[in-house]
Amino acid sequence: MYAAEVSHIAKSFGNTQAVADVSFAVERGEIFGLLGPNGSGKTTTLRVLLDVFKPDGGTVSILGGPMSEEKKNRIGYMPEERGLYQDLSLERCLLYLSTLKGVPAKEARKRLAEHLERFDLAEHKGKKVKELSKGMQQKAQIINTILHRPELIVIDEPFTALDPLNTQLVKDLMKELRDEGSTIIMSTHQMHQVEELCDRILLIDDGRDMLYGDLDQIRRQYSGHAVLVRLAGDLPDVEGVEQVLPHNNATKLMLAEGTSPQDVLQALIAQRVIVERFEIAIPTLDEIFIRVVEEGDA
Amino acid sequence: MRKLWHVAWHEYTLNVFKKSFILVLLSVPLLIGGNIGLIVFMVSRENNYAPVGYVDHAGLLADPIPPPLGPSEEAITFLPFQTEEEARQALESQTIQAYYVVAPDYFEASRIELFYLKEPGENATRQFHDFIRANLLADQPPEIAHRAAAGNDVTVRTPDGRREFHGGPTLGAVAPVMLSIAFIVLLLMSSGYLMQAVVDEKENRTMEVLATSLSPAKLIGGKVLGIVGIGLTQLAAWLLVAILAVLLGGSILGIEWLQNPNLDWGPIFAVVAVAIPSYVLASALMVAVGSTVAQSQEGQQIGALFFMLFMIPLYAIRVIGETPNAAPSVVLTLLPFTSLMTVGFRSLFSVVPVWQIAASATIQTACAFGAVWLAGRAFRLGMLRYGQRLRLGEIIGKARVTTEGGSRS
Repeated sequence: MYAAEVSHIAKSFGNTQAVADVSFAVERGEIFGLLGPNGSGKTTTLRVLLDVFKPDGGTVSILGGPMSEEKKNRIGYMPEERGLYQDLSLERCLLYLSTLKGVPAKEARKRLAEHLERFDLAEHKGKKVKELSKGMQQKAQIINTILHRPELIVIDEPFTALDPLNTQLVKDLMKELRDEGSTIIMSTHQMHQVEELCDRILLIDDGRDMLYGDLDQIRRQYSGHAVLVRLAGDLPDVEGVEQVLPHNNATKLMLAEGTSPQDVLQALIAQRVIVERFEIAIPTLDEIFIRVVEEGDA
Repeated sequence: MRKLWHVAWHEYTLNVFKKSFILVLLSVPLLIGGNIGLIVFMVSRENNYAPVGYVDHAGLLADPIPPPLGPSEEAITFLPFQTEEEARQALESQTIQAYYVVAPDYFEASRIELFYLKEPGENATRQFHDFIRANLLADQPPEIAHRAAAGNDVTVRTPDGRREFHGGPTLGAVAPVMLSIAFIVLLLMSSGYLMQAVVDEKENRTMEVLATSLSPAKLIGGKVLGIVGIGLTQLAAWLLVAILAVLLGGSILGIEWLQNPNLDWGPIFAVVAVAIPSYVLASALMVAVGSTVAQSQEGQQIGALFFMLFMIPLYAIRVIGETPNAAPSVVLTLLPFTSLMTVGFRSLFSVVPVWQIAASATIQTACAFGAVWLAGRAFRLGMLRYGQRLRLGEIIGKARVTTEGGSRS
């Protein structure tokens, strides 16, 4: 059983089609990345998934069926529109919101104390939320999302406003939650975070699926168009190489359509060049992202 | 249901323990108490309990009968003097505050002169008049003396003859009016809180977090309950002060009007029957307004319009008073918003027919249901409209309540 399953959902607002056709399934215990350029329909997809909006078409299954009041206690959501009660103290605000997730007040107080300590917010618990810095508010949001120990966590841009230290703290927390069995759906623009954290991804553009699956497989799927080489001498002319680019201590050879890395290696050996390093260049997610979106636009 | 109570308790404690709420809670009774205290102080300054002298040239007070006194009235001592000279000396030595001279031809001319250095107390003047009257009636049969001493007996009767007062409306007669005004004040304060509570969620951007934690019905239900609790706290505090005022005023200050309230429960129940659906109607409309507007300031402006609607009967009080059962009064009784105060006013001047109360309560209830439906739609449609107004046409015109609003990213 999937933690979440979305099948061909569509959603329009007036004449604007926010989501045209999106399908994906999230395995239990994985970190799933939802990627896409601005305005691609990520947030609407998450809102449809969480029953904030009803879809115009398609079906949604969450934790094994349609959304219910009971399931809301098993889901943690940090929306794109960050929201906390600005005039309440941090402690009161988080305690209130956690009781709305079904955590008994005494237990919520205990858990909150632990989390505030971990996130270095304990000494600020009596301050009004509006008196906290953006980074502190962001951490408070994250605490609010996980305090009730949800099975499914949905986070929209979790690293916004965090400094590197706190970014690492959140990344460690996400890995820890995954290891404990929680499922995480993360929507973000920060591709390097996705590469580091996500097991699988869905890339959507203009409200449609563009790329979906295992992250390593996707990267391998998009590899093969370039190789990294380091030679003892100068690089000779090699048939099928369209472009030569410097790349750290090596050279990146961009291959023409129909040319395989093996063809290039054989050509180099045939020319008796001493090859110190030869590897297939795995594209970064950034590169894949740009390529997919540009192809989609074309 | 637990979540609903969590929301209710949160809303209640959030407002009730605010300094501003405590100030408002105390301000009404303090204001009323302050005014009463000021009146008592002013009255006490007008009283003077020093003895009053008199010189009786007419033989009216040869064998004086003391004047009748009110339940808590302190008696003034009346000192007889043989001559005006003796009385003047007593006045100058401040043994007495004033003296009266009853002229020899009093029985023909009813002439009495008053002499003083400083104007005598209002209580002294009143008691001397009673003193004279008691002695004038001394030789009359008791029933005539009693009737003459009682003075005017005016009965005020409504044109239809269905309601009348002796000497003025009793506390029981004005109670429905006071109750309807108290309900309107309460309703406006409570529904203002409710609108603010919804607008606050939008301003704090907490709608999405809440929408994924509990149903809109529980959220709104909890907020309404919490704010009804706030209203009841206010009402209880005011009632407590009112009861204390009646008890203190009746037993300690001896105010006769408070001693015999003569409560008529029929009009009181009529006001309550109309007030409850009116409360729900206003609350639901405030939720709808809160969901519709972008900022709390806009909501407050619209809230002021509701206040004006509730106060319309105040401007028509003359029409209601003169023709309590004519068409304009009946229409105001049946219309939403105006019915609450109209029923209160009409109860003062007439007896509102039961069918009109029933019809009014039914109309208010139907409107309240409609307003709740509208509020539900407005809340679902408007909850993610940050910084944007929701148009009425959007609320009424769209068939799918859960599909509007939002943004793409």
